[in-house]
Amino acid sequence: MKGKTEDIATLVELFRSSGWDEMHVEIDGVQMFLSTDPNARLGDGSMPRTAAETRAAPIAAAPAAAMATLAVAPAAPAAVDVPAHWIAVSAPNLGTFYRAPKPGVPPFVEVGMRVEAATDVCLLEVMKLFTTVKAGQGGTVRRVCVNDADMVEHGQTLFYIDPS
Amino acid sequence: MPIKRLFVANRGEIAVRIIRTAKALGIETVLGVSAADRGSLGAEMASRTVVLGPAPSAKSYLDVNLIVHAAKATGCDALHPGYGFLSEKPILSKMCADEGIIFVGPRPETIESLGDKLGGRAMARAANVQTVPGTDHIATLEDAKQAARQLGYPVVMKASAGGGGRGMFKAEDDSALDASFERASREALAAFGDSRLYMERFVTRARHVEVQILGDGEGKIIHFGERDCTVQRRYQKLIEEAPATAVPEATRRRLHDAAVRLTSHARYRNAGTVEFLYDVDRDDFYFIEVNSRIQVEHPVSEETTGEDLIAWQLRVAAGEGLHLEQEQIKITGHAIEIRVNAEDPSNDYAPSPGRITEWTPPTGVGIRLDTHARAGYLVPPFYDSMIGKLIVRGADRAEALERMQAAIAAFRLVGPKTTLPLSAFVVAHPDFRDNRITTRWLEDLGPFNAAGKV
Repeated sequence: MKGKTEDIATLVELFRSSGWDEMHVEIDGVQMFLSTDPNARLGDGSMPRTAAETRAAPIAAAPAAAMATLAVAPAAPAAVDVPAHWIAVSAPNLGTFYRAPKPGVPPFVEVGMRVEAATDVCLLEVMKLFTTVKAGQGGTVRRVCVNDADMVEHGQTLFYIDPS
Repeated sequence: MPIKRLFVANRGEIAVRIIRTAKALGIETVLGVSAADRGSLGAEMASRTVVLGPAPSAKSYLDVNLIVHAAKATGCDALHPGYGFLSEKPILSKMCADEGIIFVGPRPETIESLGDKLGGRAMARAANVQTVPGTDHIATLEDAKQAARQLGYPVVMKASAGGGGRGMFKAEDDSALDASFERASREALAAFGDSRLYMERFVTRARHVEVQILGDGEGKIIHFGERDCTVQRRYQKLIEEAPATAVPEATRRRLHDAAVRLTSHARYRNAGTVEFLYDVDRDDFYFIEVNSRIQVEHPVSEETTGEDLIAWQLRVAAGEGLHLEQEQIKITGHAIEIRVNAEDPSNDYAPSPGRITEWTPPTGVGIRLDTHARAGYLVPPFYDSMIGKLIVRGADRAEALERMQAAIAAFRLVGPKTTLPLSAFVVAHPDFRDNRITTRWLEDLGPFNAAGKV
């Protein structure tokens, strides 16, 4: 089972870096359809999955895999106590996490705040280069998972958003 | 300043290799991985593993800012770059220096001057080490033709900033220059961001011989003998051995002297390899380049000298100096290494990523395996195809050859296609056994199929 999750993650990464428009894979009875077009559907209609839905799979699987193999894993939040419909905002790369645009000003977001997909939620700093991370999903911020100025890793959950 | 915590900025077998020695020296390790490698053997062995970014190298192993940031944020006082990736980028050495992190390798300016092949040649000339007769930058096709007539065909064009065979081609006559000059220029630009080419005389019967050195940065250099890496395909090494018994001993001593002279002149710090082209017909050698890092094939030197080169790298980096004299390096026996690549040699060496379903490597006297692979390992499609190195040692070359043949035959590996059958073929071949091959031997034999050559 763990093997399959890795396989899927690998295929998704391969697709992302390929520049292809669509990919359809069928192995051992498992079908996967990836597309850059969010409205695309697999031809026979048996797999009504969009690219966005498929993308969630490796990200959701990541913290569990990290916990299993890292001797000193950072405080990756356990996904078990989180309602299934909450959506994780995860770090695109390793960096230092900042909740506010600069010292002494209020954080980008607080728990309970409504956000849009385009709302900035935090900064990630890599060697003095700051990039903003967006919510990527409209909803209510339910949890802030990282302390200000902590190092985060690629794929680590930063926030949970309740889209309902 | 002793190293307390080492950042390992690499993956695969070399990450495992570095972590193993660091552990033995009581140094903590932090391994920076891509998302594809979070479950790797190195990740399990390291004291701590951090995920830098997604699988593509450009967003993980090749992002120098991410790497240095990760090393700082995890409290590392030193960084080992391994080979490939950023290991020979002066910027990594420089950024480490700027951040107060010990870089386990040469100074940025050394990497810079030796990394450019023309810079390396200038350094060789200054140290009175002979290079292949050749030219400076060649800008146009007409200049190339004129230079080729002066040097005498065949000639080889190379990328000034290059490596790995890209931008490189051989020309037997003017028409071959016509056909390939512009393309090679563009290839060099695409691969290295630098279109400059230069030309060299082509040695008809060549062997690739190189000398492993270690420098204290103040001019003291110790060498660990030479290696023969003549079995190549498209300038990629497949089999390496030490010592280079095809080269007369007196010539080998001259090789060592040349390597020491050149790197001493450069006040070279840490481990490096001085590569030479050995001209079989003239019993002479020409300097090619210095690789300013630990190399894939370093184990054959370790096996014949009994020294741990990674440990020496860490000691020198920590500023302990080079407490070693040349007389202490005794070369005994013979070692051979084959690279196990997840490629299909029967299908033009097409990459063959996938899951290893069965993995039973050979064991026994004189056998060493450097690898990150194991049963169940998924060879990812994003990186170099090498999944391990099988190294054997014997009292002499004949014994090492016998052991290698037996070791390859005993290697059970199911899943990806690998170069093991090709290695078995080469090791059994009379030309290899009689040590009369050249760097073009493998390609000249033609395509490989599992049953032998066609």
